[in-house]
Amino acid sequence: MEISVIVPFYNEEACIEDMYNALVEALDPTGLSFELLFVDDGSKDLTFNKAAEIALKDSRLRVIKFRRNYGQTPAMAAGIDHATGDILVTMDGDLQNDPADIPLFLEKMNEGYDIVVGWRHNRQDKLITRKIPSKIANWIIGKVTGVPIKDNGCSLKAYRADLIKKIPLYSEMHRFIPAMASLSGVRVAEIKVNHNARMSGVSKYGLSRIYKVLLDLLTIKTIVSFSSRPLIWFGILGSVVGLVSFVAFIYSMVLLSGGGAVVAMMGVSVLFGFLMIFLMLSGVLCELVYKTGNQKVEDLSSLTSEKISLTEMNKS
Amino acid sequence: MPSKIELSVIVPVSESRYDDTKELYLEYKQALENTGLNYELIYVLDGPHPDVLGQLQSLIDSGESRLSILKLAKYFGEATALKAGFENSTGDLLMTLPAYQQVASEELPGLIEACASGVDMVIARRWPRLDSKFNRLQSRVFNQIMEGLTGAAFKDLGCSVRVFKRYVVDEIQLYGDQHRFFPALAYRIGFKVQEVDVKQAQKDVFQRVYSVGVYVRRLLDLLSVFFLMKFTKKPLRFFGLVGVSIISFGALVLFYIIGDRLFGGVPLGDRPALMLSSLFIVLGAQVVSIGLIGEIIIFTHAKEMKEYTVEEIIN
Repeated sequence: MEISVIVPFYNEEACIEDMYNALVEALDPTGLSFELLFVDDGSKDLTFNKAAEIALKDSRLRVIKFRRNYGQTPAMAAGIDHATGDILVTMDGDLQNDPADIPLFLEKMNEGYDIVVGWRHNRQDKLITRKIPSKIANWIIGKVTGVPIKDNGCSLKAYRADLIKKIPLYSEMHRFIPAMASLSGVRVAEIKVNHNARMSGVSKYGLSRIYKVLLDLLTIKTIVSFSSRPLIWFGILGSVVGLVSFVAFIYSMVLLSGGGAVVAMMGVSVLFGFLMIFLMLSGVLCELVYKTGNQKVEDLSSLTSEKISLTEMNKS
Repeated sequence: MPSKIELSVIVPVSESRYDDTKELYLEYKQALENTGLNYELIYVLDGPHPDVLGQLQSLIDSGESRLSILKLAKYFGEATALKAGFENSTGDLLMTLPAYQQVASEELPGLIEACASGVDMVIARRWPRLDSKFNRLQSRVFNQIMEGLTGAAFKDLGCSVRVFKRYVVDEIQLYGDQHRFFPALAYRIGFKVQEVDVKQAQKDVFQRVYSVGVYVRRLLDLLSVFFLMKFTKKPLRFFGLVGVSIISFGALVLFYIIGDRLFGGVPLGDRPALMLSSLFIVLGAQVVSIGLIGEIIIFTHAKEMKEYTVEEIIN
């Protein structure tokens, strides 16, 4: 199997057939062998029945039915776990992404990239509640990770299977796969894709997303920073705080030599000094947690060497 | 006895409230026989209940082959007792019944039938209520709080008569006294839960007044369940919210006194407000870093946490 396309569905009985037709239409001309994985994320309507009907006629379609609604990330994780292709393509089930773009992704993958992400350059969404928050979020993600991906939220992405299968997917982490992967040295490409307005249903994300993205980003930064130099991250935070403590100390000395009262300023110095110690010790604790856990960031980094051999293989 | 158990009935005996065991057993037995299902009935004794044990023993000795007893070493709480019961039973359909008369037993087959037809869980609601206004008021308050927190609009969470499929249990981790929240949690994570009106048992009608401690415990239980449900996978979302709020407050105070220093000429070095704001910032930073440690714990154990269960795969 060369290609697996993973599409999560939640209450999409109206689009599922169109989606299937569009996918087959896009993939057939490529001449590659492919499978479609439709994940029914606990739909309450006839989504599953419709998918099952299609699956009867076409054995290339596999349908995974969840017991209940789990959300988009687990749905993608299930698709990834069950996929057998070498290249995995994920996309939204509500026809917001255009399956006709998939061949472009495959082309880019062939050029040796490990991840290709879509960029909805003509995005059809509300400006204030969707586009602006997402612009800000993407800008911050780009600044922090150093990988300026313009559209982390686009579901249409292609991955090398052995890479994505090693990245832990939980909570809402799917948004950070490119950022996470690129921090461990994987090659990421971005291409423009079409975007259609939501046909039905209401999007559940809003302005609160920025806050979530910020916190998730702090998490990602911490996790990934641990890969190369453990304890350093908390060490950096600690030294910044230590600097504050030191400045406060110097200032209180200056005040003292001038004959002023220094109790409060000295107290500030001590407080931040304590915080520095707390942060350093947190770093040690994290180190301990990390060493005893079963998920290592090194696992992701080690994939870079495999990448080189893969590109060479393609050239020969 | 036919081989496969279809229905496992768990009766936890937890607190001091239980009715005459023999009479209750015979009543349940009558109702369960009417369903025509191959069932087992497991009494879980949470802590030493010698009189119940004695009566059950004599029932078993008199040839009640479907009855079995599970005795826990000490008191663990009803939810834990239920869990032990689930683990030691084999039926795909599970039913919990109280060790006292709560609903009229002739209603039980109807509940089991309702669950067999597509929903994941059926819970009984005692209606119309025969007991006092005060009883109804306190359960109403409890149910309202639950509704506010979880969005699950159930009217009688105090009723322990519940029928559900085994996979529901696999996804809900409850312990201690948290059995009351079971339907609300099931609903909240996406299972179909149906409430069915049943007749209240005559013996269930009496005044229920608890000590203040009991009410406080319930409230704390509720909060911890809510926290676990919402933030287990994302500890930083919770600690971040608390920490950032504390830091913001500290920063506001700090900016105010710095402004005072720059424009009002009030000396900064000896203001207690300076200490206060620093304290808040330090505390906030500590809370946030605890959240970060939590995130790292979750990340390093991500492989152990499978987030979904598959019902069916086609092709």
